[in-house]
Amino acid sequence: MSAVNVQGASKIFNQGTPKQVDALVDVNLTVEPGEFVSLIGPSGCGKSTLLRLIANLLEPTTGEITVNSKTASQSRLDQDYGMAFQQAGLFDWRTVAKNIELPLELKGWDKAKRAARAKEMLELVKLPEFADMYPWQLSGGMQQRIAIARALAAHPPLLLMDEPFGALDEMTREYMQGELLRICSETKTTVVFVTHSIPEAVYLSNRVVVMSPRPGRITEVINVSLGSNRTEDTRGADEFFKGITAVREALRGTHDDHANAGAVRGVEDR
Amino acid sequence: MSPLARRSIYRTSMFVLSVVLVGVLWELYKLIGPEDGGKIFGAAVLPRSNDTAMPHIWSMLSRYGRPEVRGSDRQIWSVVLAGAWYSFRLSVAGFAIGATIGVGLSVLMARFKMVERGLLPYLVVSQTVPLIALAPLIVSWGGKVNILGFTWPKWLSAAVLGAFLAFFPIAVGTLRGLASAPSASLELMSSYAASWKQTLFKLRFPAAIPFMVPAFKLGASGAVVGVVVAEISTGLKGGIGRLIIEYAREATGDPAKVFTAVFGAAALGLAMAGFVAISDVLLMRNRPKETTT
Ligand SMILES: Nc1ncnc2c1ncn2[C@@H]1O[C@H](COP(=O)(O)OP(=O)(O)OP(=O)(O)O)[C@@H](O)[C@H]1O
Ligand SMILES: [Mg+2]
Repeated sequence: MSAVNVQGASKIFNQGTPKQVDALVDVNLTVEPGEFVSLIGPSGCGKSTLLRLIANLLEPTTGEITVNSKTASQSRLDQDYGMAFQQAGLFDWRTVAKNIELPLELKGWDKAKRAARAKEMLELVKLPEFADMYPWQLSGGMQQRIAIARALAAHPPLLLMDEPFGALDEMTREYMQGELLRICSETKTTVVFVTHSIPEAVYLSNRVVVMSPRPGRITEVINVSLGSNRTEDTRGADEFFKGITAVREALRGTHDDHANAGAVRGVEDR
Repeated sequence: MSPLARRSIYRTSMFVLSVVLVGVLWELYKLIGPEDGGKIFGAAVLPRSNDTAMPHIWSMLSRYGRPEVRGSDRQIWSVVLAGAWYSFRLSVAGFAIGATIGVGLSVLMARFKMVERGLLPYLVVSQTVPLIALAPLIVSWGGKVNILGFTWPKWLSAAVLGAFLAFFPIAVGTLRGLASAPSASLELMSSYAASWKQTLFKLRFPAAIPFMVPAFKLGASGAVVGVVVAEISTGLKGGIGRLIIEYAREATGDPAKVFTAVFGAAALGLAMAGFVAISDVLLMRNRPKETTT
């Protein structure tokens, strides 16, 4: 039983009009339970679209998508996944703690249980003293951490994350990467993770899925053999650099004709 | 001092200042304006500044301290106050009816695009019906219409006319507000498989508040206008509208009298606006004060 199974999925926006965009064409992807899979590729190659298809926020034009052996829409109704978007998207009128409690409220948890979990999540993202502040009183990076806490709050079996760490400073980013790995291995969470950062993809993932644009498709899947116990030392390991090189090689083939040779547009090397 | 207190002091003093300014302009015009009005080719373009058309501020104010009619022991301020209080309660009732209908309609329109397409044009047309034409019809229901043992009281007609003017801005403003929820937030709610009702109460309504507050302000003043016009055009007893027509008849002999009632009506509108302003402060106190990017 796979956690996510995408079979021959395509997504065409505005089909049959002059504005037609082939965002994804014939995508096949299987994610096993407990696996951490990253999607990487130049801007506009359909990473967010693929994530939205898995989340059932978009219907595929063709193809089949199952999540936890159910249809994607059934999984969404069963709240099988948590999602963190590119933008934090916190509610201005709710305190930080109440924002984290939102998915729990919708699941019908009682008040005490919600408050306890929100407190726990705030400690996890290292912002416990901000519980009663409002999102607009926080910096962009802090808001993003709250959004991550919100996605993790219900301990969903599947996490879908769209560049969640893009707005964070390097230190916080590395800290959050470590925490994410820890939480996911503790709770056996499956993750599909969109990123623009090659080291981030390699450090976090069991597999890195490399995509290319026009039309959006998967060009290569790279296995990362860093093992399951990754620490800060992993960032200095030979295997880590090998992985980075492999992903960079794969990405080199993906940039379209307009991009400058060598540099892959939209993919950071840090 | 808290910023809130400072802001309310500032606002109050600006309000007092503007009232004083209007008074000064009034007296200034009386000084320099033509006694019998200004006419160009026979058309009146400037109001008359004599004491019958424009009494002095002090004679209007001192009029409050004298009896309503000669020999009566009720001073006019208490009569005006009682009338304003009566109309105020009608306005609140009208506002409540209008707000309920307005918000209800906006929720329906937000839920069903069909309803919006079918209903919105009629709502717009409804506002072009002159209130004066509608008032006698609705007031004629008073005491006659009988629904399941409930006899339609006369005052309810005035409240309904207030509601008629109040519901429209509230419906339109709330509808815009409900539609203002960002698509990313709607997507978030949908990723939680939130029901339409949960999305309405946890996302759409909170997001609509900044649109609803000004709409409710318009609705509140609409309710006052509706009630006062209903009272004036139908002569409903007890309210400030009736006092205005009664006192206007005495305008030649006692010109300051009608102004006491007019100010009463203005105070009534201010009270309603104050109502909404307080809710504004309460509802918006935890919202972003400055837009950050
Ligand atoms: N709702 C939509 N309607 C029309 N076109 C869309 C829509 N959403 C995405 N697209 C198009 O689909 C393509 C893929 O978009 P997508 O957002 O998935 O890219 P991405 O890989 O996430 O890019 P980025 O790295 O910049 O976030 C783009 O060309 C985009 O213009
Ligand atoms: Mg994207």
